[in-house]
Amino acid sequence: MTACLCRPALSLRLTNLRLISTPPSGVEHDPADNTHYKITLRRSAISLGDQKKGTLAALGLHRRNQTVFHLHTPDIAGKIIALKELLEVQNVPARDVRTKREQRVERRAPKGYEIVGSRMGYGGFELLSP
Amino acid sequence: MLGAFRASHVNQGGLLWKTPWKLSTTRKANARARLKKVDAVIEAVRASGVQCGSLERALELPKEHEMPAKDKYTVFTPHTVGYRKGIHKVPKWTRITQRTNPKGF
Repeated sequence: MTACLCRPALSLRLTNLRLISTPPSGVEHDPADNTHYKITLRRSAISLGDQKKGTLAALGLHRRNQTVFHLHTPDIAGKIIALKELLEVQNVPARDVRTKREQRVERRAPKGYEIVGSRMGYGGFELLSP
Repeated sequence: MLGAFRASHVNQGGLLWKTPWKLSTTRKANARARLKKVDAVIEAVRASGVQCGSLERALELPKEHEMPAKDKYTVFTPHTVGYRKGIHKVPKWTRITQRTNPKGF
């Protein structure tokens, strides 16, 4: 701010540049970037009727605490609203979208060790190979 | 009426589990938490910027903090004096939305 007072013309440009270049701190991402719904089934649809069960299947949800990602589209929004008591929904950017396999890899607990090498080579395959 | 063969609800083929007349403090707190979760889902869909008819209808529902206690814990019934019964008497009440009353009630 002191620099601002000393050299108003240049520093104004500099501050503008700074505003453009530095991302806002504290916010993880811009809400405008959100392209997908992250939908998690929290309550089961048992005995709520075939309509709701069918809607869940249409969203790709087959078991509780399962998470799926869908684009922001009116048909998906309508399905979410129809099941609003059963779901937990977040808006996420495209870079946060995960497939089922990727989600499982992320959930996996760290092994607590790292293989740096082996005297036998990689699992002793050299011995078996001719 | 004392002794091993006394008449009771259970040994006369009656109900063992009785539904209380009103919700306990804990059950009311849980009900409020569920209402807030539903509000969060509607808010997330609204924040996505998508427009659809079901969303407009959902946005017309009162939010948890806008609802009077009467609507959170009881529902309209035509069968009782006062036209209200505990919401926990409604089948599947934890997984359905029942926030508004018929016109005039």
